[in-house]
Amino acid sequence: MDLSETANRKIDGQPSYGISLLSFLTRYYIQSLLVVSVVILGAVNPYFRTMANLENILLQASFAGIGAAGMTLLIVSGAFDLSVAGLLGLSGVLISELLPSLGVVLTVVAALSFGVLLGLLNGLVVTKLRIPAFIATLGMMNVYLALAFIWTQGSRVISVSDPDFNILGTGTLIGVLPIPFLVMIIAYLVCYGILNRSVYGRCLRAVGSSEIAARTAGLPVDLIRILAFAIVGGCTALAGVFLTAELSSASAIMATGYELTVIAVVVIGGTSLKGGEGTLFGSFTGALFFAVISSALNILNVAAYWQYVVTGVFLISALGVQALRSYILVE
Amino acid sequence: MSNPPELLNFRAIFSIANATRFIQVAESLGVFALLLIVVISASIIAPGFFTYTNLTNTLIIASITAVTGLGMTFAIAMGGFDLSVGSVQVLTAIVVTSLLSVIDPPLAILGALLTGLALGLLNGALISKLRLPAFVVTFGMMSIVRGVALLVTQGQSVMVTKHIEFGLLNNGKILGLPVPFIIMMIVFVVLSALLKHTPFGRHACAIGGNRGAAIVSGVSIDRVTIAVFGLVGVTAAISGVMLSSQLMIVDATLGTGFELQAITVSVLGGTSLSGGHGNLVGTVFAALLLATIASALNILKVVSFYQYLALGILLIFALAIDTARRAFIAKSLLSRA
Repeated sequence: MDLSETANRKIDGQPSYGISLLSFLTRYYIQSLLVVSVVILGAVNPYFRTMANLENILLQASFAGIGAAGMTLLIVSGAFDLSVAGLLGLSGVLISELLPSLGVVLTVVAALSFGVLLGLLNGLVVTKLRIPAFIATLGMMNVYLALAFIWTQGSRVISVSDPDFNILGTGTLIGVLPIPFLVMIIAYLVCYGILNRSVYGRCLRAVGSSEIAARTAGLPVDLIRILAFAIVGGCTALAGVFLTAELSSASAIMATGYELTVIAVVVIGGTSLKGGEGTLFGSFTGALFFAVISSALNILNVAAYWQYVVTGVFLISALGVQALRSYILVE
Repeated sequence: MSNPPELLNFRAIFSIANATRFIQVAESLGVFALLLIVVISASIIAPGFFTYTNLTNTLIIASITAVTGLGMTFAIAMGGFDLSVGSVQVLTAIVVTSLLSVIDPPLAILGALLTGLALGLLNGALISKLRLPAFVVTFGMMSIVRGVALLVTQGQSVMVTKHIEFGLLNNGKILGLPVPFIIMMIVFVVLSALLKHTPFGRHACAIGGNRGAAIVSGVSIDRVTIAVFGLVGVTAAISGVMLSSQLMIVDATLGTGFELQAITVSVLGGTSLSGGHGNLVGTVFAALLLATIASALNILKVVSFYQYLALGILLIFALAIDTARRAFIAKSLLSRA
């Protein structure tokens, strides 16, 4: 937990107040929310507290979580990427095409490089053509989806049945921790190192707080943003590897709505959309929280369509909570 | 388009207004020229394009996009935009289709328009009263409204069974022109009047042009924002009604990517994302251009996925031009100073 404390203290940049309940809840509201919901659901529903369900929650959390790690860095730099659903679909299709001929290791490497490349392309479009990120990446999403559709001749589902590859999605360590979840932890540690312990991380925050100031100070703003887009591309492709392995299939639309979930996870974790500050621990918890809620909806037999409503409501209310939170912290 | 006399005049009386108007006219002409080129080349290479039936169909499809595009142009002029229009379109299409089995068409249409208005007002209220960014609110609403559409239909299709005359909204003709086109022209005239000749339109442009200045001059930002988003909701609902009368059978998966089309036609038509002015004529031309390209690709039997690709690339292209235009204006202003 000391990781989280340093993270929050550093990022909030606020002097510590007394440990009043209110300030604790304000600072760690998403963590408190996660603990409370897990305790309540575990107490109420016997199925929820089974090992299989908990394992499934960790697995589900890692798909959105891995993407959200990169997205946190990008949002800190003051931009977004809405193309991740298309990017993930396209990398999934690429994996399904390459796997039979290249073998597991090379395919994963190729998929990650492909993701980084597409991320670089996104970054170039946003910075060099000077198009607002949300709309440029919305256009790029269309392009990626179209390419994936053309490649698969429609929304055909391609089966990916290489046992060595599928173990990446279904395997567990000591029987409880899914491999994707372990990779998610590593991804967050790496991103934490980048954001909070490296010169590049400071640059990201500087660009996000004030682009003009960063430019005036002589920072290569465009390069910094392009790299952040590349990180998002890499993270998304990584999530694509595990999703393909878990589903043992790939299709263009395998990740519809992924961009919404990822951004919702980051925002609900407490990272400000204004840029300049962000908390990876928050995004990590946010991913777990979303997986817990969606598992609860499944167990309670709520129609799958409610997921759309719930995700949207959470996204909007998380922003409201953020506004309230910064108000309380300032007080 | 930049013939010498006009350019001279343009330099002589230099003001932002003139520069903007000049560029607006040039852009409308530009999109119109592009439209002409595409129509002519499509007529040559795609046999069956230049037929009455196909042109009517193209016009209908263009009109459906244009109606929402016109509303979106208003929002973009105010410096906002609405990503939820696709979901609002499908929900209102479902509302009107379901209502038709219980009440008369006029009331059913009214119900759909009110649904659109309510959702738009909700967007506007969240954005202005809670001071949340338009992008995230409408993004969230996109998901919520889509979920509601799926929930009310339980994933099934809804069909128009009673009041088949509802289809006249799509196939009917007045003076030889398809009804959807007439609807689009009415929306165009009303919105043009609102944008250019009412305080409401001027305030919307003022907010988009310079928010701080608009606040200082006493423009009620919240009220205008809510009204503009309400307007966008209504235009999306009109598109929804038009879509429902075109298909006569609707389901909750329709209208994905519609927000992208609406934004594309606005920006392609010459409305800058930086806000401050709206080019409604350009939006109509751009919607026609988009529909023409789609129809030509269809006739040439190009797989529909290439249309997604074309849309994405066209959007990026239009945005790149928008950036160049902004850089041009900034440079002109700088050289003046």
